[in-house]
Amino acid sequence: MNRRRILMTALAVFFLVMTISFPALGAKTIKIGVIGPMQFMQGKGHWNGATMAAEEINAKGGVKVGNKKMKIELVKADSNEFLNVTDATNAMELLATREKVDFIVGGFRSEAVLAMQDIAMDYKKIFIGCGAAHPELCIRVAKDYDRYKYWFRGTPINSKFLVRTSFIQMATVGAILKKSLNIPKVRVAVVAEKAMWADPLIPAAEGFLPKIGMELAGVWRPSPVATDVMAELSAIQREGAHLILTFFSSSVGIPFARQAGELKIPAVQVGINVEAQKDGFWQATQGMGNYVMTLNTYNRHVEVNELTKPFVERYIKRFGETPTYNAGTYDAIFYTLAPAIEQAGTLDADKLVSIIETRDYKVTSGRIAYLKDAEGRPLHEIKWGPGYQTSLGVQWQDGKTVGVWPLKWKATKEAPEITYKGIVPYKIAPWVIEKYKK
Amino acid sequence: MLLDIIISGLISGSMYALLAIGFSLIFGVARIVNIAHTAFYMLAAYGIYFGTYKLGIHPVVSMLVSVILVTFLGLIAYKLFIDPIREHEAAVLIATIALAIAMQEIMLLIFTGSYLSVPALIKGYFSIFSVKVFYQQLLTFGAALLILAALWILLLKTKLGLAIRSTAEDREVANLMGMNESRVAMITMGISVGLAGLTGAVIVPLTILDPLMWMHPLIMMMAVVVLGGLGSIKGSFVGAYILGFAEALVVFLIPMGAFLKGSVALSIMILVLLIRPEGLFGIAFEEER
Amino acid sequence: MGIVGFYIRKLWVIFKAEVLVLPSRMVLFLFFWVLFLLPVFTQDPYLLRILILTSIFAIFAASWDLLSGFTGQMNFGHALFFGVGAYTAALLNLHAHLPPWGSIPLGALGAVLAGLIIGIPCLRLRGTYLALTTLAFPIILMGIVFAIPDITGGELGIYGLERLARSRVVNYYITVVLMLVLCGIMWKITDSNIGIIFHAIREDELAVRAAGINTTYYKLMAFCLSGFFAGTAGGLYAHFMRIAGPSTLTVSMSFQVVIWSVFGGIVTIYGPVGAVFILYPLLEFFRFWPEYRTLMFAVIILLILLYMPDGLFPWMRDKIETECPRCKIRNVANRKTCRICAAPMD
Repeated sequence: MNRRRILMTALAVFFLVMTISFPALGAKTIKIGVIGPMQFMQGKGHWNGATMAAEEINAKGGVKVGNKKMKIELVKADSNEFLNVTDATNAMELLATREKVDFIVGGFRSEAVLAMQDIAMDYKKIFIGCGAAHPELCIRVAKDYDRYKYWFRGTPINSKFLVRTSFIQMATVGAILKKSLNIPKVRVAVVAEKAMWADPLIPAAEGFLPKIGMELAGVWRPSPVATDVMAELSAIQREGAHLILTFFSSSVGIPFARQAGELKIPAVQVGINVEAQKDGFWQATQGMGNYVMTLNTYNRHVEVNELTKPFVERYIKRFGETPTYNAGTYDAIFYTLAPAIEQAGTLDADKLVSIIETRDYKVTSGRIAYLKDAEGRPLHEIKWGPGYQTSLGVQWQDGKTVGVWPLKWKATKEAPEITYKGIVPYKIAPWVIEKYKK
Repeated sequence: MLLDIIISGLISGSMYALLAIGFSLIFGVARIVNIAHTAFYMLAAYGIYFGTYKLGIHPVVSMLVSVILVTFLGLIAYKLFIDPIREHEAAVLIATIALAIAMQEIMLLIFTGSYLSVPALIKGYFSIFSVKVFYQQLLTFGAALLILAALWILLLKTKLGLAIRSTAEDREVANLMGMNESRVAMITMGISVGLAGLTGAVIVPLTILDPLMWMHPLIMMMAVVVLGGLGSIKGSFVGAYILGFAEALVVFLIPMGAFLKGSVALSIMILVLLIRPEGLFGIAFEEER
Repeated sequence: MGIVGFYIRKLWVIFKAEVLVLPSRMVLFLFFWVLFLLPVFTQDPYLLRILILTSIFAIFAASWDLLSGFTGQMNFGHALFFGVGAYTAALLNLHAHLPPWGSIPLGALGAVLAGLIIGIPCLRLRGTYLALTTLAFPIILMGIVFAIPDITGGELGIYGLERLARSRVVNYYITVVLMLVLCGIMWKITDSNIGIIFHAIREDELAVRAAGINTTYYKLMAFCLSGFFAGTAGGLYAHFMRIAGPSTLTVSMSFQVVIWSVFGGIVTIYGPVGAVFILYPLLEFFRFWPEYRTLMFAVIILLILLYMPDGLFPWMRDKIETECPRCKIRNVANRKTCRICAAPMD
């Protein structure tokens, strides 16, 4: 009995000691923490993008800091943010204190990123977000610049811009429908998952539709994790909608596309469907997700600028799938941090912040410049617009995704017409053509 | 619209009925609250995916093999982890939770968190009174009824069923009467897990697979079982359809509030319990001394 | 000078007679001191963070035990109190600008109210029915939270709350002292008349009623007390994390507390507290193998339950201490005779 007690105590002490004495590694490298839900696609995207960037930089000898070259060392942190926000914050704290990283990239779920951002700011580490689209993350920078200035948004464009882009895409598709099928007035069904980010979309859509000569057929809000949307689909069909404007960030995107395809609902789907951005969408919908269009950042055949194609091709070659916007960690490291470090000649966060926020530079998904709010305070929000970040509209056509927007797009009357290289025409689903063609 | 509600209610009701009856069985016989019940359902679903896509077997064969394998696994898990501690109810409960978490994690490791799906056995749909119904949904409903009928026959017309029912009513006396109580418990566990697996086979073409898919049906299933009365098969059956229709009503009548269907169903359960604490058909347990 | 020496010697005598005699009390004594003196040796923010969260969850777990262990009313929706405490404290802090030492107690009172609201319908329910019904409440509340996002912040929750204190070390001391005090109070409650009635209600409610005691009152009191402590834990959590979100109301939060308590041993207050102190840092420690973390956690629980189904701490305690057959006082296991009544122990 005595021996067992000693054994138990020894075990307890061992655990305590192990947690305390985590070895600190040598400081000859630039440590970048990559934090994300590593068991899921988003985290994998974070890690893959970062890995590619780090390897390419290290292959060239590293980043020039002052008069020496330092290699990049990545630290993987599984935030587990889908299941547990506390876990995410612990992971962030671990990165900042034990691992003593110099920079942090990643993050996905807005609730978790808000908490993680606070911790990163506590330790004055530059944190480039590559997943959460909530505007609040950048509004904080304007409100309390001294504390939050270390945050920058990497990807995606914030939710307001995402919505604006999907409205534009919807208008484009609506115009195509009107022209090719001779529909006098296109009826639009808005289907937005019941989630906070989608709430402002409803009134925005209701206001926007009449302006482009379309009318609202109805609004449906399924649960983000619904698996059966027959109810919504039958109602949509009954209302005679020609176009379904989707706002799905969660799993409901799959059954919606699948059931709509199986039932051959006579309406095209445009909007945001995060599941449709993934290569696994085709299998998940059993091939029924054909002709679904969604906002996306990368596509294998589209070149936004000269940096896009090499990146996408290398990524596909290495990881076997198209990069999602989470792989923007590549841009964050390769084009945002590394050049800023070389320019500053130091790893000092404050100096780097002042350099980064004034830069206007190319990345693989477009061009980044940082916005200021109405009062001129820096938001560290990435700029949306032709020549900067616009995202793409991609459509599933027979088993693969192709870019269909922007195709001859003019943002305003005076703006230049934009078509990215590799964009192909949008295709209307044959059963929709059949239903409406007179 | 009414037809939509009826059909939707029937489908989800059948799914809950299948799950709830299995859960109710094992609770009635062995007093085990098997939180891992829906986790077995998930295992069978993944088994079908694996068989169909990675091994290239025909979906139906995949289904049968998965159900058998899952039943086997369930029995092993029961023998290893639950049986030794059966007398400690709280510990059994936690053990089943831990089992469910373990299964979730193993699925996460093997299949990752991406959403997957399985092809329907019969593709296509048909229309009744301008309401579209998938053939697969009809199949699910039919299968549910068939399984329920088979179970009914088993429980009421066979000797094994008699043993199960009497053990459910009074464990000690059944033991005295010569029925090997722990063997009956094990057989019931097998039937219960098999039912969970069958539900997976039948429902899976209509839904998405991911390692967290066991949580939501678990809540609804427990609501159904409590509503119908613990230990009562009839109660689970009736309760399942009540809650299935309630959900369908919410989704159709309040499209903006479709996400509230879970909360509404649970509120109904609580209301019924306030009026009748044993559930609709449940037996008020004698204080076991 | 002589007075001081007198009291020091008295303290030493008491210490020798009361604390040193029993290994479990020694462990508790050491536990107190280790917690208090830790920041003197290391100020690693990560370690302190883990211990702060552990203390908060320890209060939470102990409150569950108070309700479900002692009175036998299995509560599977304990996250309700946690969430209500967190959200109430958050709302008060954000909109009424109450500082944490005001918003947290009020948050706890909010949770007490919640305890009353769910305690009343639960009076009629027994056993598994009660357990599964209580499971439903946090889910319903979560639905409500999503339905009124303007007030509750929807799935993002309420963010931008004040800190408990500026520095990590002060935070640590606040939570640890609170944990020790609150758990001490809970322990005292179970050691009092009320505690005896709780034990009795669990064992045989009919007999208690027959003895003329109003069990309804005591059962509701259990809900309210448990709610108070859990709500405090929720408020502390909200102020430490600076966010109160729907993650405080999830089913897994409810299940976690049940797992901790059963693992550590129900019907003891120290069981759940000890379990949290072992399991939560262990889970963090398993970060070395991120994919296998939760799996290992589940496997450990399964194994421990297999061999120690009554809980880890009761098992350990039984190995190192035994009860004297005559006077029922606990003694170290290897003693031949009882330390109080000198009866032979075998």
